Amino acid sequence: MSGALDIATAVLLVAGGFFCIVGGVGLHRFSEFYQRTHAASVTDTAGAGLMLLGLMLQGGLSMVTLKLLLVLAFLLFSSPAIAHALVKAAHGHGLALDLEIEDEPGRDGDAAG
Amino acid sequence: MRLGVLLLLAAVWLALSGPYTLDGWLIPVFGLVSVAFVWRLYLALERAAGGGFEFFRAAAWLRLPRFLVSFAVKVAAANVHVTKLILSPRIELHPRLRRVTASQKTSFGQVLYANFITLTPGTITLDLRDDELLVYALDAESEADVMDGSMDRDVLRIEGSAD
Repeated sequence: MSGALDIATAVLLVAGGFFCIVGGVGLHRFSEFYQRTHAASVTDTAGAGLMLLGLMLQGGLSMVTLKLLLVLAFLLFSSPAIAHALVKAAHGHGLALDLEIEDEPGRDGDAAG
Repeated sequence: MRLGVLLLLAAVWLALSGPYTLDGWLIPVFGLVSVAFVWRLYLALERAAGGGFEFFRAAAWLRLPRFLVSFAVKVAAANVHVTKLILSPRIELHPRLRRVTASQKTSFGQVLYANFITLTPGTITLDLRDDELLVYALDAESEADVMDGSMDRDVLRIEGSAD
């Protein structure tokens, strides 16, 4: 059975690594600041998530797994907060978005005008 | 509920660095001090948010597994979509900025919804004002994930205000 677990871990780690690389590739291939943040979120969610999942399989029902779960939980709270802080700061300082479709500004209008 | 948070913090500290024996007093004292400090932070946060976090009710924890499954499925699908976009020979994006209503009743629910959108690759929350989110999406398919309202319903359900 431990052989099957090891294979599952290996598959998850490789898949996680693949998504980390994809995030990095996207960071370079996308052309604009706001688009690049989307590529980075692939690394944050699929990349880190799959890797942590693969490591949890090795930990079994133990403190190690609990700690890995906590790492995942903290990551899922902190990474959107950081991404949001980045784009809001950029938007608030008037870094233009390259848009095809845009809704009308709301009641107060946008910070960037 | 506040006591629940205190117990949760103590349990987390014990799990992460806990001494399971009672010899020596320094480490347990450090633990008490750090738990007390973080609990103090939580109380300040609760005051700043203007009320307790409904999330810590038992009912919300019971609804958590279903939410997490739905969350994982949506994030996985979005990851596959954005991966395809990144690896396609010609990058074709149709970026758009949309206003989305966050129909959650509590600020906690609204923040959870905004973070849900941001975590999903392909969509990101630029701003949250009153009950309106400013969402930037990479293309029509990413946008549809938010505009069809299924994420909104997920968060409503775990918030406990779904119909």
